[in-house]
Amino acid sequence: MINSIEKYLAELKRELAGSDRATVQDALADAEEYLRTALDNAMQDSPTSEAEALAAIIEKYGTPGEIAAAYKSVESSSPLAFARPARNEVKSAASAPVATPTVPDTRPFYVRFFSVFAEPRAWGALIYLLFTLGTGIAYFTWAVTGLSVSAGLLVLIVGLPILALFLFSARGIALLEGRIIEALVGIRMPRRPLFTRKDVGWWQKFKNVFTERHTWSAVLYMILQMPLGIIYFTVFITLISFAGYLIMKPITELVLDMPTFIIGDYAYYTPVWLMPLVVIAGILLLFAIMHLAKYTARLHGLMAKYMLVRE
Amino acid sequence: MDEINEAIRKFQKELNAGTAALVLLGVLDKASSPMYGYQIAKLIEAQTKDVDIMKQGALYPVLRSLEAAGLLQSEVEPSVSGPPRRYYKITETGRLTLAKWTEIWRQTSDLVNAVLEGGDHD
Repeated sequence: MINSIEKYLAELKRELAGSDRATVQDALADAEEYLRTALDNAMQDSPTSEAEALAAIIEKYGTPGEIAAAYKSVESSSPLAFARPARNEVKSAASAPVATPTVPDTRPFYVRFFSVFAEPRAWGALIYLLFTLGTGIAYFTWAVTGLSVSAGLLVLIVGLPILALFLFSARGIALLEGRIIEALVGIRMPRRPLFTRKDVGWWQKFKNVFTERHTWSAVLYMILQMPLGIIYFTVFITLISFAGYLIMKPITELVLDMPTFIIGDYAYYTPVWLMPLVVIAGILLLFAIMHLAKYTARLHGLMAKYMLVRE
Repeated sequence: MDEINEAIRKFQKELNAGTAALVLLGVLDKASSPMYGYQIAKLIEAQTKDVDIMKQGALYPVLRSLEAAGLLQSEVEPSVSGPPRRYYKITETGRLTLAKWTEIWRQTSDLVNAVLEGGDHD
């Protein structure tokens, strides 16, 4: 017998075990919104016992089993958070209620390679990777400041609440970072904070913040973000400028008379017949960079999903 | 009796899978301001009288998938009491889709009614 909203949510979570984590989070948030609103209204209209009112509400809303089934069926017919497009593999025609399933990318290799410039995802990924330098520095500073200030004050008792406040802020940042990743990279992330339990006191919440793996992995993520941001920024700016250098080669060398390299008194130039090939190589490199950005960002997104999303 | 019950349940479920999206788009198309899940569920409940057509919780995943398809858009607003609420409103694409769906629905229901009510088979 389910006699509290917390029990219902726990039951729903159990039923959804194995589904995409973001789906689970959405389902819990939806259920909580409905159940709490309904319960508030029911208690105002006719103050009966909470368990009784809840039983009637669940009768209307659906049992955890039914609701889990509804989310699963919708999820199975819409593209998963990070599903690879199925390659020509015809799935058994499962009943598709609303959304369209992922369309397999059957275009020939060269079309896929060159169309990357038209993909908003690839541009988003590149922007995300370059911006990571900035967000990484901000996260790192915040994390290191928060940790060291609270560690220093831990000898006095005030360090503890400060540490807790910092850890709460890390959760907020985790949510924000998730939104950025979903917008730019397209990996499904939670859209709002996980339900807060109403049946536990602030002391229990305070303790939970310290014991949950998710809090600490979010802090670790914030620290990791800076070295990663520096690496992404350096690698991509270098690659892009190198591609630019190759493309501009005929102008710099034939018009501006800048040699390829100089050793001692000798200046070396690229043979003129090689020029078209150099330019083509530069252009191909640009396309390759976009693909690299797409895959790097997706990999980063998967890591972020693992470290930032609470189970 | 079990087989009949099972058949009824299956039929209702399959029917709901198609109509839920249409109903939700219809409700949000008529709505003057963005609505959240519970409001929508209550509105639909008021219109279905006592018939228990579908669990209200099953509307939420459909709302989410309609949003993913670009037919709805939503934003989260904190509520005075309880958890934040997700308010949905219909998009321009949603309106155009609804017009097409309504047309299909009319044709389908005309066909079904015509067959069920029988008529002259000549």
